[in-house]
Amino acid sequence: MIKRVIREPLVHFLLLAALVFAAYGLVTGQQSATGTIDVTQAKIEQLAGLFAKTWQRPPTAEELKGLIDDYVKEEVYVREALRMGLDANDAVIRKRLRLKMEFLNSAEAEASPPTEAQLQAYLDSHPDTFRQAPRVSFEQVYINPQKHEPDASAAAKALLGPLRKDANYAATAGDPTLLPAAMPLTDQRGIAEVFGDDFAAEVTNIVPGQWQGPITSDIGLHLVKVNERVPGSLPALKDIRPAVEREWMNDHRNVVEQQRFDDLLKRYKVIVEPLSADGSPSK
Amino acid sequence: MSRATLRACLVSTAIIGIAGVAFADDDVGTLTPEVAARVYAAKPNYSPYAGRNFPTRPFFGDTHLHTAASFDAGAFGARLTPRDAYRFARGEEIMASSGQPAKLSRPLDFLVVADHSDNMGMFPDLYAGKPEVIADPQARTWYDMIKSGKGGEAALQIIMGFSSGTLPASMIYGPDTRPYKNAWQDTVKAAEEYNDPGRFTAFIGYEWTSNTGGNNLHRNVIFRDNGDRADQVVPYTTMKPLGSDNPRDLWRWMQAYEDKTGGSVLAIAHNGNLSNGIMFPMIESFTGKPLDKTYVDERARWEPLYEVTQTKGDGETHPTLSPNDEFANFERWDFGNLDASVAKTPDMLQFEYARSALRNGLKLESELGTNPYKFGMIGSTDAHTGLAAVEEDNFFGKTTPQEPSPERLTATFVDNPKTKIKVMDWQVSASGYAAVWATDNTREALWDAMQRKETYATTGSRMTVRFFGGWDFDPADADNRNPGAIGYAKGVPMGGDLKAAPTGKVPTFLVAALKDPIGANLDRYQVVKGWLDEKGETHEQIYDVAWSGDRKPGSDRKVPSVGSTVDIENATWKNTIGASELIAVWKDPDFDPKQKAFYYGRVIEIPTPRWTAYDAKRYGVKPLPGTQMTVTERAYTSPIWYTP
Repeated sequence: MIKRVIREPLVHFLLLAALVFAAYGLVTGQQSATGTIDVTQAKIEQLAGLFAKTWQRPPTAEELKGLIDDYVKEEVYVREALRMGLDANDAVIRKRLRLKMEFLNSAEAEASPPTEAQLQAYLDSHPDTFRQAPRVSFEQVYINPQKHEPDASAAAKALLGPLRKDANYAATAGDPTLLPAAMPLTDQRGIAEVFGDDFAAEVTNIVPGQWQGPITSDIGLHLVKVNERVPGSLPALKDIRPAVEREWMNDHRNVVEQQRFDDLLKRYKVIVEPLSADGSPSK
Repeated sequence: MSRATLRACLVSTAIIGIAGVAFADDDVGTLTPEVAARVYAAKPNYSPYAGRNFPTRPFFGDTHLHTAASFDAGAFGARLTPRDAYRFARGEEIMASSGQPAKLSRPLDFLVVADHSDNMGMFPDLYAGKPEVIADPQARTWYDMIKSGKGGEAALQIIMGFSSGTLPASMIYGPDTRPYKNAWQDTVKAAEEYNDPGRFTAFIGYEWTSNTGGNNLHRNVIFRDNGDRADQVVPYTTMKPLGSDNPRDLWRWMQAYEDKTGGSVLAIAHNGNLSNGIMFPMIESFTGKPLDKTYVDERARWEPLYEVTQTKGDGETHPTLSPNDEFANFERWDFGNLDASVAKTPDMLQFEYARSALRNGLKLESELGTNPYKFGMIGSTDAHTGLAAVEEDNFFGKTTPQEPSPERLTATFVDNPKTKIKVMDWQVSASGYAAVWATDNTREALWDAMQRKETYATTGSRMTVRFFGGWDFDPADADNRNPGAIGYAKGVPMGGDLKAAPTGKVPTFLVAALKDPIGANLDRYQVVKGWLDEKGETHEQIYDVAWSGDRKPGSDRKVPSVGSTVDIENATWKNTIGASELIAVWKDPDFDPKQKAFYYGRVIEIPTPRWTAYDAKRYGVKPLPGTQMTVTERAYTSPIWYTP
């Protein structure tokens, strides 16, 4: 019975409430009259500035008074809450503080932009990140297998001759589809997003210049004319500077954050109690 | 509509694409004669591809993603920043907050990081070298250290200075310091860094989270503009005295932003299903009075889209509202309001769901002259993980504790002992994405397409969906080699308008859907019609207009079920049923030219394993009784309205 009472959340709450009120009485009894809330010119400017940024105009006198009153109210509550220790063990506040520390680190990282040499070195050491995959541009004519049973492949092949003979035939040949009739220079991944993986793998191997096929996708059959193939390459820094800078900065941010954390960690002795053999907390 | 106007529609898209100007009129079907005359080419080109500038492909993205910068996401353990979120959406592998690698099957085309505006904290700009800061000798020293590459040392000294209280007055980031940098500016900066016009669009945006009494009136605000404009404002909050929980005040903020900066913003509401009857009101909850002309005008002006599907349930319609719709009972979250403090009652439903709002909008339009609920549709995730990952086989949950784990199949998400409302993690829906028919993948082109409602919602699949309405589509148009071209030439796209019917004419629709290239086949394409009769009552009807195989509609005009190939135990399915592509022309068989109406497309996939089935298989966990294990992914297009 006693055990059950101890486990009851309501009991916990009442106990906690009693403690809080006791602490509140203690603290406020000592300090209630002594606190000063100084609403400085700088603070008023800041409140007015925030209003102006929200509403694109300065506040009226009445609005400004409202902002100041609200600030005073918030300040009173925050101070009292801190005195009562209400910030302790609050998950939201802890996460927020951690986020602010990380924010400081990232602000620091951004304060030191990379040099040209650093960017070139980064590009040289991360070629795979920046390599432009081979790209092809092509036209395609779609053959819907459901409309050409039993031999859609033969129906497709029958179109090859006319397609090769008449450059304008492609515009009207084949079956209706939402698939694009032509794709600009696109890499295999981009083609796969539209036509699926199998088609994308095949089309990148087709020799440019002549209508070929059919090749198969998850949607149906396609006659394809590849117009241009551009081999993969590693662009020069000047052509991809923003991308290299973004990647460099992203890495740099992580490095700085790790360094800052390591530096701070050195100020602490961390004791982790041993885990039990199966890795669970020991009883 | 005359042929000249129709052609003008076609080229109007070209104007937008080239000039990148805001589409002043949100009606895609009209254009002023002056502009039309300027761009109308008298002779059609021989080549069907020359001069074509209508949208040829949909762009997929998420307009509603939270990161650690949202206080609730942070409290739930989210660690990822806006930059991480953009990287992930661009297709890169990221370490999720739960310490497991995450990657999308394919990149998204765009993303809006929409963190909550409330509690977007202020941070000091320690490192910018502002004059106020470096006026202090000690601060100057640190500033110089940073500039000379000793930033690490300086940072440590500064941090120590904070903790020991020896920091110069100009650098203390108490409330009275001047040199501020806020989280909003950092969010803007992250979007600027990752915005890559033509390849990946990183929108600037935020969520205004009005939630009084636990009733969800949330809106995401999306900027068309770049950082130079967005930086001039701070997001609108919901707390007095600076903010407000009333959408009318948000609209005032939007107006002030546009007036001052010359920029453009729009707002997208979501989760009417958790508003307990106040998302699409006829009586305004804040005043208890019927909507007035100002409300309907402003809502129509600022809210062109609605987020109809997301992780916290689907919002198209509800079985109680649409008893004859056999697909209505889908990913339902109808227990109560957002914090589960008040339970749902049936009278609330018609003011919560998209379809009933579209119907009530017709009613309001006849009374007040403007339809406040003339919105297009998009889906989005509302994930609080920084990960826009809602593929069924790659679902990273709504919150960090719901990232993949053996526990999430049986864990509890919401438990309110007072109302006895309990929501399990398995009820979280792996949904959705926004599909936008834009001419280019840029902030301007995508935003303009959102503004003209040329969008559709999907529940996570990337199917391609076309929906055109006009007076002259004939069955042969379904055989045209290029449905998009004929659609724009003879009609208006999703989000458009049909005005008074020419004598004897009936609305015709060219509908087409292509399956997700790596996804499941399609079961059917339906047209959902709503209309207002002479007595002022609204009605709805669903028509099956294209479907796979040789199924025959029954006497109720409904096409029988496509069946299922799902093997739940192994979490697999086969594309042996359904069709890869559906194209048809449909004519409204019940048209009355005197009645206001709307039509939208709904495309249903064949059944596939739900994320719960993948979890059960991969973790070997037994699901709780009643767990939904299959899903019929779907798309909802923006409507086309008929207004006599």
